[in-house]
Formats: sequence, structure tokens, C-alpha cells
Amino acid sequence: MTRPGLIAQALFTVFVLLVSRAGAKIYIDVTSPAFKKLPIAIAEFSGQSGREISDIIRDDLDFSGLFQPLDRSAFIEGPSQPFQVRNWSVLGAEIVVKGIVTGDKEKTTIVSLYDVMEGQEIFRKAYQTDASLTRPLAHTIANDIYRQITGQPGIFRSRIAYVTRYGSHDELTIADWDGQRAYRPGVKGTVLLSPRWTRDASRLVYSSERNRQWEIYLLDFRKRSERVLFSAKGTNLAGDFLPDGDQFLLSSSTGGTPDIYKYRISESKLTRLTSSRSVDVSPAASPDGSLIAFVSDRQGSPQIFIMGTDGYDIRRLTFSGSYNTSPSWSPKGDRIVFSGRQGGKNQIFTISPDSSHLTQLTDRGNNEDPSFSPDGRFIVFTSDRDGDRAVYVMRANGEAQKRITPKGVRAFGPRWSPNY
Amino acid sequence: MRRFLVLAVILGMIGSGCAQRKVVTPSEAPQEATEQKAAKEAQEAKKGPEKITEQKMEKVESKEVATKVEEVSGIFDDIHFDYDKYDIKENAKAVLKSVADHLIKSASEKILVEGHCDERGTSEYNLGLGDRRAKATKDYLISLGVPANRIETISYGKEKPLCNEHTEDCWAKNRRAHFVVMKGKK
Repeated sequence: MTRPGLIAQALFTVFVLLVSRAGAKIYIDVTSPAFKKLPIAIAEFSGQSGREISDIIRDDLDFSGLFQPLDRSAFIEGPSQPFQVRNWSVLGAEIVVKGIVTGDKEKTTIVSLYDVMEGQEIFRKAYQTDASLTRPLAHTIANDIYRQITGQPGIFRSRIAYVTRYGSHDELTIADWDGQRAYRPGVKGTVLLSPRWTRDASRLVYSSERNRQWEIYLLDFRKRSERVLFSAKGTNLAGDFLPDGDQFLLSSSTGGTPDIYKYRISESKLTRLTSSRSVDVSPAASPDGSLIAFVSDRQGSPQIFIMGTDGYDIRRLTFSGSYNTSPSWSPKGDRIVFSGRQGGKNQIFTISPDSSHLTQLTDRGNNEDPSFSPDGRFIVFTSDRDGDRAVYVMRANGEAQKRITPKGVRAFGPRWSPNY
Repeated sequence: MRRFLVLAVILGMIGSGCAQRKVVTPSEAPQEATEQKAAKEAQEAKKGPEKITEQKMEKVESKEVATKVEEVSGIFDDIHFDYDKYDIKENAKAVLKSVADHLIKSASEKILVEGHCDERGTSEYNLGLGDRRAKATKDYLISLGVPANRIETISYGKEKPLCNEHTEDCWAKNRRAHFVVMKGKK
């Protein structure tokens, strides 16, 4: 192609980009530090399960902290009436969500999104589902609305893996992000700990003590199988996967004292990364796989350190307090969330990888095992603030802390799945 | 040269357009937007409704392997540790001596040392700490003449507490090494 031809093509590409971007209006910029919550009217959907679906959408969007769902009892316009700007502008609504559900076993749901200021529909989509998947349906709609308004993917269909403790054994449990639809795939152990997702959410590794032996197991959702991935004398605990999905980090005392290793599954190859006389545990991989945060008491008290994936360039991350453990990275790699002792109790903190921006997020009970949601906007953690250990979620700034596991259930060690 | 200028101007426009759009945009180019919307809708309609599905997961029962050894607990007292420490205390040495004597006498038996912690730490670090407590105990038994292959260790961290109250008394009881005698089944 000639040079003028190239330039013409470049110009055309630019023009197309320009036009297509003009259509996508961003109502909420999630990267902006200051924003006003968007007043949104989520009308009760007509038809079977209509109320349930619209309630789930409302709860999802409300928890995000970006929306202000308006009180439904004040709505003037009925579900079957056509959208009229004046019915919503008087309520202060900027966005209106309406939906119609038809059918009962096989449901079709049509959702419309209206911009009140512009007085027009900005999004319309049909969904088909069977009655057993009402909650995933509602979470999918919430994701679509979230994307329309913010330009970002929502996390409302992601799930949380955690451990439920019964009298004599532990069991792996997987629930929706809001704690609903908890199910147990049948994975048990005398003690079960630290489930970690692969980045495509198709597999989980976890550590389990069975018959007096700590082993690391792999649960493959596609193959519907569990197998031992790593077994050695000593305490073997699973850490994060590296981005390639073939290597994961672990801690093991097979070499004498707990040290950090990486393990390549395809070659069954174990590589030692630390060798100290101290306790080195809880390796957490940065999102790009270049750094590992881990816990070590090599300087006296448990603190978080960062090193390269080859085990070199070790530096200390945490300096405040005498007990800092359970590190986990934000998806962007700009924050590490961890549990730190403060006034005799463990609290959740975030910190930048350069040790700046230390921020305390919790202040009730003991809180541990924090990890970020795939969009980095939320954190899941364990807390004993209401008695037994239970799983909680909150926004990444500490707002809106709520328990998602039922009362009377002992639950801990949560990990947020990637989006899928 | 002029062409480059045009390109630069257009790129400049895009740049400023993006910057504006970061916050709420005023409605702009209504005609284009409408046309584009119509096109998008037509496309959506052709696609048909999105099917909401979910991967079904069959149960995977964890296999339980029957243990081959008989375990006897309670022959020896637990030994205790200071908070966040794993060194053997003076008052633990008498118990360790009796454990060592027993093992040297009964050559067919092994001992399992369980390392435990109080509830105040976090799960994974406590498993590391419990591991060190079990290992310190094992090392001391070796120093008393017990062959290393007769001593197994395991850490339970804070996951199997003996005492469930949130008091210093209780925590002190939970910071322990527990001894289980293992006899080979005939």
C-alpha cells in the first residue's frame, strides 16, 4: 500500500473510532475519585419472578456504591405503561430500568434502560433462561446495566469459594458473590484451607489435611475431578496461580522449615524460592506475575515482604504493627490487602507496593483472609465480629461491610473468583 | 505535510473528546447517535435473546483412605509454648524426656507430634508456627537419642483448638505440642 493510502486508512480508522465512541456515553466514571451516586429507578418487572429479579438488580447496583436506587413505592408509572419522561423526572431519576418477564419454566425477559434527561431508551436486551437460573439472570442484567452506565464490566456473576467448618470436618463451598446459592461440590478434609482460583476460573487449588498429611489438591470443574497436585512431608499450603495457569505458588516445610516454592504442574517441577530458618508462608502473586508478596518472621515478628518470582530482591513491605499477614494483590497491582494486628485484634488494611497509602478498613472483631473482587472494587474477608468466623464483603474503601454466609454457619478462607 | 496537519488536528480532537467524556458527556451528535443506535438495535434483534446458562457441576466425593495405624492419644501431657514462639521451654523438658524414654523402649512405635496455636493469629501463619513448634519438639527428641524416622510431625495451626474460650488461660492451653503414639496394625 502507498503511503497516502496508509494515511487514508489511518484516517478512516480514526473516524470510525470517533463515531462509535460518540454512542457510548459514560454516566459514571469509576476512575474518578469524586462522583455523585447516580439516581436510578428500577421498576418492578412485570410477570413471574419480576419482583425477585428487579430486587436482585437493585441490591447489586446498590452495593456497588455508584448508584442511588430510588424508593419503588413512589413510582407513578406502572410496569406495562409506556415510558414517560415526566413520570420519572419528578422523582429525580436519571436512569430508569424496566422489564417484562414472559413464560414460566422457560422465561424470556426483556429489559429496557432509559435516560430521563434525553428522554429515550439507551439499551434494550432480551434474555432467555429457565426458572432455576433466576438469580444468575438478574446478576447478568445487573452486569449489563453496570457496563452501560460505567463502561466497565460488572462482577455480579462472579462467585466466592470458601470453607465451611462442621463438627469433625471442613468442606469446600462455592456461592454467588452475594452469598446466595451456596453449594458444596463434595470436597472434604479434616482441615481444608486456602482455596485459590485459576485465572480462567476453571480450576481451584486448596490445601487439605487428610490422614495426618497436608496435601495440595486440584479441583477441575470441567473434568469434574479432584486430584492430589502436591504431596510432601510437612505442611503444604497452596498459594496463588501465576498468570500462565500452569505454575502456582505454595509454602511447604518439606525442606525443614516453611519456605516459599513455585510448582509447575505440567512438569511436576518444584522450585524453591526462599530458604530461611524462619516461617515463610502465604505467597501471593502480583497480577502480572512479576512479584510475590509473602509473610515471614525472619526479622522477629510476622511481616509482609515482596520479592521477584525468582526469589531475589526481597524487601520488606509492612513496617507498622507487629503482626501483618495474609497478603493479596488488587487486580491492577496498585494495592495489597492484608490482615494486620491493631490493638490486639486483626484488621484489614490496604497498602501500596511501595509501602505508602496504609489504610485501615475494618475495626470490629478479628478480620483475616482478604482478597479483591476481579474489578478491584470490593474485598471479601473472614470476620468473627458476630461470634463464629463468617464470610463478609465490603467495598474496597471499607464501606458497606456485610456478612454473606448464614448465621450459625462457621465459614472462612474466602477467595473471589475471576469474572466468567 | 498538509495531510499530517489534518491527521494531527483530528487526533487532537479525539484526544480532547476523550478527556471530556471521562465525566458525564453532554448529548452530542444526536443524529449520528440515533443512526448508530438503530443499527445496533437491528444487530441485537438479529442476535436474538442471550441465553443464560450455567455450567452444571457433578459431585466429586473426596476419597477417604483408611488409616493403617492405631493412634493412641493421652499417654503424654501436652507441652506448651509462649505466644508467637517455638522454642522449647524449661518446664517441657520432663515430658519430652519421658516421651524419648518410651520410644527408645518400644521400638515398634512411632510418635506423631501435633503443633497447635492459639486463635489470635491468622490461619496460614499459624500453620507455619505450629509446624515450627512440632519441628522444635522433634529436634529436641532427636537430641535425646530418638531416631528421626520414628517421629512424625503435623501442624494444625489454630484449626483444632483444645479450649474454645477467648481468654489468656485458654490461649495458653492451645499453644501446645500434642503427642500421639502410633502403633503399626498387625
